[in-house]
Amino acid sequence: MMAAVGAPEVISQLESAAKVLMAPPSMVSTEQRQHAEHIFLSFRKSKSPFAVCKHILETSKVDYVLFQAATAIMEAVVREWILLEKNSIESLRTFLLTYVLQRPNLQKYVREQILLAVAVIVKRGSLDKSINCKSIFHEVSQLISSGNPTVQTLACSILTALLSEFSSSSKTSNIGLSMEFHGSCKRIFQEDDLMQIFMLTMEVLQEFSRRENLNAQMSCVFQRYLALANQVLSWNFLPPNLGRHYIAMFEATQNVMLKPTDSWRETLLDHRVMDLFFTVHRKIREDSDMAQDSLQCLAQLASMHGPIFPDENAQVTYLAHLVEGLLNMINGIEIEDSEAVGISSIISNLISTFPRSVLTALPNELFASFINCLTLLTCSFGRSAALEEVLDKDDMVYMEAYDKLLESWLTLVQEDEHFPRGCFVQPAVQVFNSYIQCHLAAPDGTRNLTANGVASHEEEEINELQEDDRELFSDQLASIGMLGRIAADHCIPLLTGLLEDRVTRLHGQLQRHQQHLMATADPGTVDRKVLDDLYEDIHWLILVSGYLLADDPQGETPLIPSEVMEYSIKHSTEVDINTTLQLLGSPGEKATSIPGCNRTDSVIRLLSAVLRTSEVESRATRASLTGLLSPQMGKDIVWFLRRWAKTYLLVDEKLYGQISIPLSTAFGADTEGAQWIVGYLLEKVINNLSVWSSEPELANDTVELLVTLVEKRERANIVVQCENWWNLAKQFASRSPPLHMLSSSVQRTLMKALVLGGFAHMDSDTKQQYWAEVLHPLQQRFLNLINQENFAQICQEEAVKQEIVATLEALCGIAEATQIDNVASLFSFLMDFLSSCIGLMEVYRNSPETVNLIIEVFVEVAHKQICYLGETKSMKLYEMCLTLLQVYSKNNLGRKRLDVAGEEDQYQDLLLIMELLTNLLSKEFIDFSDTDEVFRGQEQSSGAGRAVSAADVVLYGVNIVLPLMSQDLLKFPSLCNQYYKLITFICEIFPEKIPQLPEELFKSLMCSLELGMTSMSSEISQLCLEALSPLAEQCAKTQEKDTPLFIATRHFLKLVFDMLVLQKHNTEMTVAAGEALYTLVCLHQAEYSELVETLLSNQRDAVIYQRLADAFNNLTASSTPPTMDRKQKQLPLSTPSTTQRSLSPCQTMEMLSAAQAETPMGLQTRMPPERGERPAKAERGRPVGHDHLSLI
Amino acid sequence: MADLDTDFTSGDAGASLTFPMQCSALRKNGFVVLKGRPCKIVEMSTSKTGKHGHAKVHMVGIDIFTGKKNEDICPSTHNMDVPNIKRLDYQLVGITDGYLSLLKDNGDLREDLKLPEGDLGKEIESKFESGDEFLVSVLAAMGDECPIAIKPMSS
Repeated sequence: MMAAVGAPEVISQLESAAKVLMAPPSMVSTEQRQHAEHIFLSFRKSKSPFAVCKHILETSKVDYVLFQAATAIMEAVVREWILLEKNSIESLRTFLLTYVLQRPNLQKYVREQILLAVAVIVKRGSLDKSINCKSIFHEVSQLISSGNPTVQTLACSILTALLSEFSSSSKTSNIGLSMEFHGSCKRIFQEDDLMQIFMLTMEVLQEFSRRENLNAQMSCVFQRYLALANQVLSWNFLPPNLGRHYIAMFEATQNVMLKPTDSWRETLLDHRVMDLFFTVHRKIREDSDMAQDSLQCLAQLASMHGPIFPDENAQVTYLAHLVEGLLNMINGIEIEDSEAVGISSIISNLISTFPRSVLTALPNELFASFINCLTLLTCSFGRSAALEEVLDKDDMVYMEAYDKLLESWLTLVQEDEHFPRGCFVQPAVQVFNSYIQCHLAAPDGTRNLTANGVASHEEEEINELQEDDRELFSDQLASIGMLGRIAADHCIPLLTGLLEDRVTRLHGQLQRHQQHLMATADPGTVDRKVLDDLYEDIHWLILVSGYLLADDPQGETPLIPSEVMEYSIKHSTEVDINTTLQLLGSPGEKATSIPGCNRTDSVIRLLSAVLRTSEVESRATRASLTGLLSPQMGKDIVWFLRRWAKTYLLVDEKLYGQISIPLSTAFGADTEGAQWIVGYLLEKVINNLSVWSSEPELANDTVELLVTLVEKRERANIVVQCENWWNLAKQFASRSPPLHMLSSSVQRTLMKALVLGGFAHMDSDTKQQYWAEVLHPLQQRFLNLINQENFAQICQEEAVKQEIVATLEALCGIAEATQIDNVASLFSFLMDFLSSCIGLMEVYRNSPETVNLIIEVFVEVAHKQICYLGETKSMKLYEMCLTLLQVYSKNNLGRKRLDVAGEEDQYQDLLLIMELLTNLLSKEFIDFSDTDEVFRGQEQSSGAGRAVSAADVVLYGVNIVLPLMSQDLLKFPSLCNQYYKLITFICEIFPEKIPQLPEELFKSLMCSLELGMTSMSSEISQLCLEALSPLAEQCAKTQEKDTPLFIATRHFLKLVFDMLVLQKHNTEMTVAAGEALYTLVCLHQAEYSELVETLLSNQRDAVIYQRLADAFNNLTASSTPPTMDRKQKQLPLSTPSTTQRSLSPCQTMEMLSAAQAETPMGLQTRMPPERGERPAKAERGRPVGHDHLSLI
Repeated sequence: MADLDTDFTSGDAGASLTFPMQCSALRKNGFVVLKGRPCKIVEMSTSKTGKHGHAKVHMVGIDIFTGKKNEDICPSTHNMDVPNIKRLDYQLVGITDGYLSLLKDNGDLREDLKLPEGDLGKEIESKFESGDEFLVSVLAAMGDECPIAIKPMSS
């Protein structure tokens, strides 16, 4: 269209359109704006716009129009590449470069866009042997040697544009070429051109680093080349032979480590390269922006690995040089704030990159200096990080640097057997000491002290979403714990001493407060400052002790760390076992008051220091001082005890090569020590549950400790021998205070623990008695209540409602206790309740909160048990759920609620029902049920004919849910997700049930799918696409035409076709959409041909028509006619935008450029990762629509 | 809503309007009295002042009759009042002068409840006029009573 109009007209049209776009929003209407945008879009799609664009560039004064002309050239060159004369491309490139050179005053965004066009031309040409674009490097080096800063800056811009373009990262422009094309270009580039760029850069840096005084302009050029060097060293070298799927993954990696190919050996192993970066950094380190780049270059060099090193010797030499340079750089300077993160990156990169054998091959002295330097840096960064916390800085650079160094320590010491024995002990002591010091209050420590020693003490509001320190700082604590183990000889006694001291002080302080309170009876006068300081000290000491003594107990059986075990063994000859046991068994006494306390096992003494803390806490609660205590400290104590118990309690000698006698005597199976401590822990739990019911997190940690004690059979065996356990069980069963004041989640977990305990080893009488005291009262009370004649009248009374709620909560807890070995008995127990619960649904039909809780019981039972149930039992559960849903439906059908809570209640019911249905369906994927049971089940099920299948229940459920689902309700994200997950599951698992659905239900299901595909999030859209293939396959199987499902799938074919070919879509969906399209095309081949024909018939240009037609032919060529064979689906028929997966690079390129020219919205091959830079570029003036190459 | 001068002891003699419960034992979706009004708890969260402080509970509730939002924050050891909530279904047998005639289970008639305003009221009127047989659910708490839902009679 543009070609028909003369150039001057085009320019004036574009210039007035630009004026509209640049005008303030209030000055132009939306229509005007859209019209102006359209003018630019069609301009960029015009055929062979080169002459017009040149003319524009030479005459127009409007920057935005210049920008658009550059863009149009870039897009047209790629689109029409195969049709263009090679020498005209060449001259176009020369024109653009000369243009920029001659106009130093161009707007930056125009210049960058023109250079981008140059880079794109060079890249597109790099695979085309008929054209040579290499001369550009020669031109650039001439620009650099000009010595003119402006020209040098321009040269840098050209190189940067080339680098970005070839990096095939998110910085690459979207020119609609395949992944393979980008990969091939990149491989060629990184072998040759990239090295040239690097050499040019190094020359510039060398030149600048020699100069004495740099003026501002030169310094600016220097900075740009330094950034360029960083870009080269951060190049993500693409290895040869990487499959196309991996390329995408590979290019998405963050934090690229330098892994050059071996052709870079001479360049990068030359020491002068590294030396230059050290020199550069020394020169500019006070400029925080430049220093970041120079340190990043060094960090990249520190991460170098791979084929570039011919052998280990080369690695050792390289590393030695790096470490020397680093030490020279750091020693004798005061590190700037802006250097901290960079320096720690260099260290962390080299420690994680170089193998231990290379580190140990360093000259001894050098290695020792390095470790020494690392130690000092770690301690210093740790102190600065603490200061940052006191000052509450937003930008925590030292914290970040400290984290990196601590992580490096962990890497180092985890494999310390490679290093000289004991070489990390002293460093570990120092780092450990400094950590402790930073976390203790004055005078021992420096916590909350600002640089000039002033204490700051602020009480901020902390909400429940804020993570506890034990999680927030878990990485730091894990490193410090590990260092503590390395230097156990120093650290364990240190922690013990500090903790014992704090506990004694806490005890004294609490006693003083008690006397004070007795005298004045006014709790308001208590000054908490001293107490809070003690609590905070104890808090950190317990956290560090926990991380030191045991690992994160998430695994199966955590072992006692070998360093701790060895430490205990080493000293066991000096230890008096009886005194140790005495120390352990008397948490109420001061440790130092026990005669011979210095001849006790230190590991046990550290535990007993925590027990002493716990004892002070418990006694304070008994003395009614709970208000003065710290719930945080209470959490720390039970957290520690839980972590400790998982590892040490009933230590199993078989798991260890050698075992410490004190540890096995104190905590081994069948020892008095183990029994005593179980009893003690139980008492602690009971005490906490009664005094801390108001602290939800503490109560939760406490009840989790209880679960830990009973979830392992061996521990549970001891627990059930304790009288306290039985008391707890009886107390809970009788619903007497104070346990009923616990929050509902804690009550559930408590119930779970009590049930788990019931599976411990007991003689049959005892077991019977146990269940009689734990579970039967629950059943009895419940039955007594609901069987009362006047239940219907009293059911609304508050006491009755509370009893019902408590029972339902308990049932959830019982379901949570399900394990494979108790499912049989728990299932039958729960089933009796479930049928009564359905009765309750009827009685409480007007109490949404009760109805909700009843459904939740079913959800929990299905969630925890269905996977273990054999056929008969599953059937029983299905039937029960079906009845539940029927009752729910009956009570809610036609019911109109107009009160304020109506919608919220309904939302919650629906969410639970869908969760229930999804849980029932999960049986189809996860099934642990014993086949034996299945057989027995078949024998038993006499009335197999009336058996209910999961499908029936689920479809019935969907029938209830669908009419209640509204667009408004779908706005609840969790509900929307659950809903679509459910319907996709149904389509995948029971496609044969779909055609049998009642008409209305079928319609709403199809509507839901369409809605989900077209107007929901990409996650939902993907789920819906996944549901389509099974539906199409179902149609193919039945061979029936004109069924509603057949017609529906035809409609979906059009939707998916449009989505893939004509609309912008997310690459994440390509696989699902490709598969859906493939099966749909198989089913509706005629309709597919029609869609293609329609698309083609809109194309008037014969050349382009042919290219597009060929592309579609290629698409189906590999399988004509397409069939629904499983294997074929693995190579899904690709739409033009998915061709990269099944066509060769050339074919793909050819087709895409053709298709881009043709389809209304344009096609795109998106380069993963997602184009993070897009918005920024758009702001710089890229017009709307650029990223889908709209060309018609 | 019921007239304020209705004698609300007549329903269940002696039953108190509220009962106390420790704050931490309250649950989301449960009920609580906030600012003297019966509320359904729609949000509950805890916070503390300083790392070693004690938990406070922050509650957001909506007035079950007016839909007005109320908030409160209190130490989690404190007791809060929980309203006794009753919901009863009555068959609608007539509408006179803006008052509903409702049939109790025991056959007694009560005529003290006003036809509610708004959509529900209109719906009740039109359904009744067209001869539908249906139940009216009435919510009662702290002396207030209000029809909140209707449901066709199951045959």
